[in-house]
Amino acid sequence: MRKLAVFLLVMLIASLSAFSEPKYSTIEDLNGKNIGVQTAVLYEELIQDRVPDSTIQYYTMPNDMILALTSGKVDAYLIEEVSYGVQKKNHPELDVLEEPAGYINATCIIGNNERQDVLLAELNEFIAESHANGLLAELYDYWIADFDPVNDTCDIGGFTGESGTIAVAVEGGYEPFSFISNGRISGFDVDFICRFARAYGYTPEFYEVPFEAIAPGVESGKYDIGMNIVVSEERNETGTLSDVYYSTPIRLVVLGDDESSLSFIEKLEQSFEKTFFREGRWKLFVQGAGITVLITIMSIVAGTVLGFLVYLVCRKGFKAAIRLTNFFLWLIHGMPTVLLLMILYYIVFGSSSLSGTWVSIVGFSLMFACSMIDMLRVGCNAIGRGQLEASTALGYSESQSFFRIILPQAAQHFLPIYRNEVVTLIKETSVVGYIAVLDLTKISDLVRSRTYEAFFPLIVTAIMYFVISAVLTKAVDLVEHSIDPKRRKKDKILKGIKEWE
Amino acid sequence: MIEIKHLRKVFDDDTIPLKDIDVTINDGDVISIIGPSGTGKSTLLRCINMLTEPTSGNIIVDGQDITEKGCNLNEIRKKMGMVFQSFNLFGHLTIIENIMNPQITLLGRSRQEAYDKAMDLLQQVGLASKVFAYPDELSGGQQQRIAIARTLAMDPDIILFDEPTSALDPSMIGEVQSVIKMLAKSGRTMMIVTHEMDFARKISNRIIFMYDGYIYEEGTPKQIFEHPKKEITKRFIQRLSSLTYRVKSSDFDTEAMNDELQAYGEKLLIEAERLTKLMIAFEEIVMNNLVAYSEDPDVLVKVEYSEKLDILTMLVCYKGEKFDVGSSENRLFIDLLAEPTTEVRQDDIDSDPLGYEHMISIRFRWVEEGE
Repeated sequence: MRKLAVFLLVMLIASLSAFSEPKYSTIEDLNGKNIGVQTAVLYEELIQDRVPDSTIQYYTMPNDMILALTSGKVDAYLIEEVSYGVQKKNHPELDVLEEPAGYINATCIIGNNERQDVLLAELNEFIAESHANGLLAELYDYWIADFDPVNDTCDIGGFTGESGTIAVAVEGGYEPFSFISNGRISGFDVDFICRFARAYGYTPEFYEVPFEAIAPGVESGKYDIGMNIVVSEERNETGTLSDVYYSTPIRLVVLGDDESSLSFIEKLEQSFEKTFFREGRWKLFVQGAGITVLITIMSIVAGTVLGFLVYLVCRKGFKAAIRLTNFFLWLIHGMPTVLLLMILYYIVFGSSSLSGTWVSIVGFSLMFACSMIDMLRVGCNAIGRGQLEASTALGYSESQSFFRIILPQAAQHFLPIYRNEVVTLIKETSVVGYIAVLDLTKISDLVRSRTYEAFFPLIVTAIMYFVISAVLTKAVDLVEHSIDPKRRKKDKILKGIKEWE
Repeated sequence: MIEIKHLRKVFDDDTIPLKDIDVTINDGDVISIIGPSGTGKSTLLRCINMLTEPTSGNIIVDGQDITEKGCNLNEIRKKMGMVFQSFNLFGHLTIIENIMNPQITLLGRSRQEAYDKAMDLLQQVGLASKVFAYPDELSGGQQQRIAIARTLAMDPDIILFDEPTSALDPSMIGEVQSVIKMLAKSGRTMMIVTHEMDFARKISNRIIFMYDGYIYEEGTPKQIFEHPKKEITKRFIQRLSSLTYRVKSSDFDTEAMNDELQAYGEKLLIEAERLTKLMIAFEEIVMNNLVAYSEDPDVLVKVEYSEKLDILTMLVCYKGEKFDVGSSENRLFIDLLAEPTTEVRQDDIDSDPLGYEHMISIRFRWVEEGE
């Protein structure tokens, strides 16, 4: 327990020690430094010429970049201002360079039908007006710069409909541009188009369409307006696009001064509350740990039994069985765990309705059975032929020899390996997220992506794995000790016998 | 009574340890199986309780052919004890359990009965104080005595001993041999594979000499040890007291000779230093001179040891030009000859049947320091 406390302290200090970093004010200051970017968004191309000596590091989850920055793994990272706004709320210590790395420009795409020209003209007129009278800036501040996901609302009524209805395609699941709030469509795009409709006498009908389906739908004339089409500097040639109705910078995020007045302990408390108590997230952790324990224990039990039975069959000397077993050992030992699970999930059990959890149990049972067979082979071979010959010569049957003479001694040889295999198995189960199982590791990932906090989810997950390992290791230890023949008490050996003097 | 008929064993690697064995073991027989290494002695013993399955032939135990399929071997084996070269005690059990458990499991005796029997036997083999010891805490000799007790506890009709003293230090051979002697006197049927000729001679009523997969000669100890009829038996028995080599080329395997000499010395408790001196003399006289300077060498070397006089003798007989050991330029050898414990004689031989003309005899005595 003391080891754990020291470990936690070190982690805390490490996670907080990166505050005395040098400050950056221009993009050029970052030359030669490490810069993080989300995989596949290609923002790094915007600044590459200005920081030719920098190393770019790629991250899958945008929120992992925060931890990378605070722990000093990167000196800055690239992200859209919109996402930065949300991150900044949770991490007041973040700051951005004044000069953006570049911009994302968004336009509307106009439906390919008889109203195209009229709508394009009206929309461009409205966009120009709104730029001029500050409406777009106001909307930008309200929805993006100062976004409040719970309380921000927009007016989606008051339409006259004198010019008819327009079909508007929005993504629908894309905060803060278009999303469902209290059962109604809301967001920047929605607010903007409603204002346009009121001004020009239309009644908008909203369709929630995945991004990649918006442009094709509009091109086919199904929708009149598609929202939030991002354009690069070379203007998009395909489709009829309106003028840019908003433009958001791509920011270089660096560590700034912590402006929040919260003390270290208060921040810790807040982070803890967010990770575990908000939305009852502790239940998720308990559920994840439960799945991990379930998979581990079921696999150990099933794998041990299966391995034991196969070993007994092989011991009988059936050549075909031995060959088949060796083939499976070779196959399963030679395959990465993730691959085995995916093959089982998508191919072997592809057409069955077996859940990911059960497929994991099958997969890990097979792996553990293979280890078990190996352990039994090594353990029994360590006893040597002599004692087997002696028991045979005395008249013990094959199974009597095995269970009374060989196995009790082999067990003492392979149980230490068995204990290690159990620990390995527990750790290996962390890959089941690949086949849609919500185990402890996956839950930790999910919570991290929602809270923008890394410390508590990671540390607590690690601790939970330690605890599970410790409990199961202890259980194996107890078994090992209880069946160790040399730990027996003398009076137990001769129990019920009247001893000679 | 056990009858063995036309027993043959061919191993997977095509070696044939047993070619055609016929022998009958009567109740009360104490049979020692002797012979050179690798002639099938152990294989024969292991076939008798089917630890090694014979390729062909029959083993008939009290009228039942145990080589037949469907024969309940476990029942047969309960009546045959076996003592192994490497003891093979059960490592996870205490001494008392090693002797008790087979009785309980296989003979259905009560724990108390098994305990009483085990204690009785432990007293007989002189190890009643080791009840709670584990096998790895005992010396080799002690382990072998326990192994014998474990076998005896099963009340077997016959006990098979597979080189019971070969893995033991010389100092421990005696304690095990005396236990076996005690059993032989009590009229048990026993079969022993051994290299201890003295021991075989004292305890057996029959000696089987095996050679090349056959029973080459069989008889009473007196017949075999004092009046062997066949040539190879004679040579084998003779070699026991002396080692003879005939060196006919410079390819002679001195390494093998040295190994054999060491084994001989170990058996007869000859000091290693004295054997080293003998090897030095052999190499200088025979290899470096007689063989090296002759076109067609033929040298007979005989090593003998007299226990009574404690003298180790090397006799070298050779043909052709005479070689004077004093003319050697090997300092080590010359120093050796000068030692007071070394005695050299050089003679000519007349009318030797094998045609040897000269003889060198070197005797090595041993004087303890301080005497």
